[in-house]
Amino acid sequence: MADEIKPESYEKRLEQEPQENAWDAVRALGQGFWTTFRHLFRRPITEQYPEERRQLPERSRARIVLTRDPDGDERCVACYLCSAVCPVSCISMQSAERSDGRRYAEWFRINFGRCIYCGLCEEACPTSAIQLTPEFDHCRRDILSLVFEKEDLLVDHTGKDKDYNFYRYAGVATRPEEKGTHIKESPPVDVKSNLP
Amino acid sequence: MPKLIIDDISVAVPEGTKVIEAAEQVGIHIPRFCYHPALGSVGACRVCAVKFLQGPFKGVQMSCMIEAADGMVVSTTDPEAVDFRRHVIEWLMINHPHDCPVCDEGGHCLLQDMTVSGGHGMRRYQGKKRTYLDQDLGPLVQHEMNRCIQCYRCSRFYQEYAGYRDLGVMGIASRVYYGRFGPGTLKSPFSGNLIDICPTGVYTDRPSRYKGRRWDYERTPSVCIHCCLGCRITVNVRYREVVRIEARYSPTVNGHFICDRGRYGFFYASSDRRPRKARSGGAETRPKNARDEAAHRLEEITARHGSGSVAVVGGSRSTLETLAAERRICRQLGWQGPSLFTGTEESAAARRAAGHLTTDLAVSLEALKNADLILVAGADPINEAPMAALAIRQAARNGAHIEVIDPRPVTLPLEYVHRPAGTDKISEILRGLGKPSTEDASGDIQDLAARLDQSRRPVVVCGAGKIASERTVEQAARLARNLRRAGKKAGLFFVMTGANTFAACRMAGDPADLETLLLMIEDGKVRALVVVEADPMSEYPDLARLVDALAKLDLMVVLDCIDTETARAAHVFFPTQTFFETGGTLINNEARIQQARPAFAGGTPISQTGGGSHPPRVFRDDIPGTEALSAGQLLMDIVSALSGGISRSVEEFDGVAPEFSGFDPVEATGERGTWAKLPLRTAAGPDSPQMGGETPIKKGELLLVESVYGTEALSRSSPWLQELESEPALTLHPEDASRWGLQHGDRCELSTEAGALTVPVHTSRSTAPGTLVLPRHRRLRWQVFQHFRSGLDTVRIRKTGGEGA
Repeated sequence: MADEIKPESYEKRLEQEPQENAWDAVRALGQGFWTTFRHLFRRPITEQYPEERRQLPERSRARIVLTRDPDGDERCVACYLCSAVCPVSCISMQSAERSDGRRYAEWFRINFGRCIYCGLCEEACPTSAIQLTPEFDHCRRDILSLVFEKEDLLVDHTGKDKDYNFYRYAGVATRPEEKGTHIKESPPVDVKSNLP
Repeated sequence: MPKLIIDDISVAVPEGTKVIEAAEQVGIHIPRFCYHPALGSVGACRVCAVKFLQGPFKGVQMSCMIEAADGMVVSTTDPEAVDFRRHVIEWLMINHPHDCPVCDEGGHCLLQDMTVSGGHGMRRYQGKKRTYLDQDLGPLVQHEMNRCIQCYRCSRFYQEYAGYRDLGVMGIASRVYYGRFGPGTLKSPFSGNLIDICPTGVYTDRPSRYKGRRWDYERTPSVCIHCCLGCRITVNVRYREVVRIEARYSPTVNGHFICDRGRYGFFYASSDRRPRKARSGGAETRPKNARDEAAHRLEEITARHGSGSVAVVGGSRSTLETLAAERRICRQLGWQGPSLFTGTEESAAARRAAGHLTTDLAVSLEALKNADLILVAGADPINEAPMAALAIRQAARNGAHIEVIDPRPVTLPLEYVHRPAGTDKISEILRGLGKPSTEDASGDIQDLAARLDQSRRPVVVCGAGKIASERTVEQAARLARNLRRAGKKAGLFFVMTGANTFAACRMAGDPADLETLLLMIEDGKVRALVVVEADPMSEYPDLARLVDALAKLDLMVVLDCIDTETARAAHVFFPTQTFFETGGTLINNEARIQQARPAFAGGTPISQTGGGSHPPRVFRDDIPGTEALSAGQLLMDIVSALSGGISRSVEEFDGVAPEFSGFDPVEATGERGTWAKLPLRTAAGPDSPQMGGETPIKKGELLLVESVYGTEALSRSSPWLQELESEPALTLHPEDASRWGLQHGDRCELSTEAGALTVPVHTSRSTAPGTLVLPRHRRLRWQVFQHFRSGLDTVRIRKTGGEGA
């Protein structure tokens, strides 16, 4: 049924097309020139990009960094959530145990040649370590130099999240004497007591 | 067969099935933490709640505690049950720390899954969390008690299932604690299973601590090659490195668990000492050059001395495919061998065992659990095949009587009767028991004979190889057959020496063992040796003689995946792929054929190519370290470079061993996990002719035995298991010790004509009098004896130091 109707309605549409006369054309042309003419007397809104750099909003998504916690230690615990969530698989890392028992990234690599700056890694990060910054202009001529290692990614500030320190809440202590000292934790249980 | 309805699906299950299991049969997975099919129900976690609408029980009940009964109508999705489970999850999470990002269980954590699926996303409880101090449980298991949800799985496994007492549950009320009384290394060789069964991250894998996430691993079903049982495992590989081994469920072989030797023995595969380059004359060379050189020199030798002057030496850690290639090459080119065993006695015992195993007698590990009497003769399950000990324990828990006849001080995690008997006595006792009428049995075995008479499902577990002799094997088989003739469901279970010993029995050529081959080398009859995945220099008991013989050779070609002494002594060396890289077929001790697929393509691990830092920033079109080929393939390559030539297919078994003709391992093993068994004889033939009595041991004998860690060829290089090794010691009966003026804790020197070694002395009353037991431990230069069982008249024992000295 559909293919019977189709040619009919197409012809009908052709018939309904407005018949444009010369006056309509001249008027449209004039309107265009008038718009251009009006803008000659307005302030230019173009920014001369490399010379002028606008401050982008803090939450705009561009170059990825690894931040530090308020105590100055690396925030990244190499939990692999960012690499798991990354839709283009541009994040890879190797977790390891630091000499003080803390989990950290032995190496951490982001291939910015692949990154689509979607921000899912930042959303997945449980420690606020990985953050996107407004710095968007970090293209390179050599594709290999777009592969950033941990030392290229690590910054010495807390980024957008000023206060969070994962280990204060984690409930996992890297040293035995830290047990029970985190926020909202009771001191370790005395298992050898039989008091109620 | 009770018939019940679960979520509108009607199901009939065997009597005694719990509702949680019945639901699983119709594809409904009820959440659980404490319930485990191998450990049973305790009803501790309360998360398997379902609503019973009709039948003997009403309302919300724990599905793991209630047996399926006729007329039951069960709803797992009833709002009341769902709400109950949601609350249970929430209160289990009250004290659970906020540490999933740094927890190794994250990604395969049952608690994580249940929390997410239960919809518990926001914490409502604002109070403080309970904390515990953790313990150091040794090199294999990491402890983090804060994560515990009190499901009791660990203590139930460790104490009830595995039979070790040093980890358990203590404390009361909300202070229940799972651990040891004090920090210390776990004593059980099955401790790694705690990691698998813990539903959350209390016990995590220490060697692979912080190595990665489950979702990043390439996971491949495989078979363990660290003993003859062939337990099923899952290999986890990441960045060209085997990271972790996990137990893989097998209904017939290992059940849910594996031993620590199998779990942590894999480090040879990614060791930085693993040879990756071919060598010729000690210098690294390209594989093609090495191959051409080996072929050229082999050709020269065969041209000068005839084809019988080349011999192939193999071992039982090779796959069936490699063994078949060895056999075919020897057949077609007229080479000697393949010699797949070390000693003549070992070869004879193993091959007799393989010959005696018939379809009706062979029992699986699972069937061993159902035995009501187990007679262990000439076998030390914990040290030789640890999972067999766990199976024997399950039989004991079901009420079986366990009797061990062995000269060694066998320790099993169960109640058993040990009769310390010299190796020559074992077969005597078995012969006494095997007589048709128990009245013939002599006095001291009368009670055992009577027990055998009353048993309905007796199993004879017998060693077959270095300690248990051919005669013992013969008598054990005869006993089992007689029991079967007496109308019992008798079984026969041989503990063999290597992962693929059964296949080696069928594939061994002439000479079948190195000991015989050595005579031919010493005569100058054999001039060239091709050693495939074997290390005679650390396996043969008389190293001095072996070294002299090898020096006479014109050429020694070694193919191996590990760095061995033999490999270093080779004229031409080829690196081979490990079992993880090749996959392949293994035949376990009960003739079960199991095939593993390759777990990864091989290559040097990224952790090594990157030198610990990030991976190299260079593009290359090959994978570093992939020169190695499978041993069978490599052997065929070398041989096809000879001018004679040989057809190259490795998989073909036709003509190699008749029972394998037309046998396709892939088809035979199937994809579903039902593993085929090698076609065995269906009925026993006539009893083999009576063998002459064994030479009685006058002055006693020294046994070179296996220990759970430190003796097996591949796992002994594992750095984590090396930490668990106890210092190898000479064990003997205290009365024997006093003959040489020795006491427990002394040191003594054992010397023969070939050399000497000094070891500490342990005395044990469960050692057979007249027997000295020494492990073939990697830390000892034990290769100074002539045989694995050598008479004490050839050994001098001298006290060199002691506590008093």
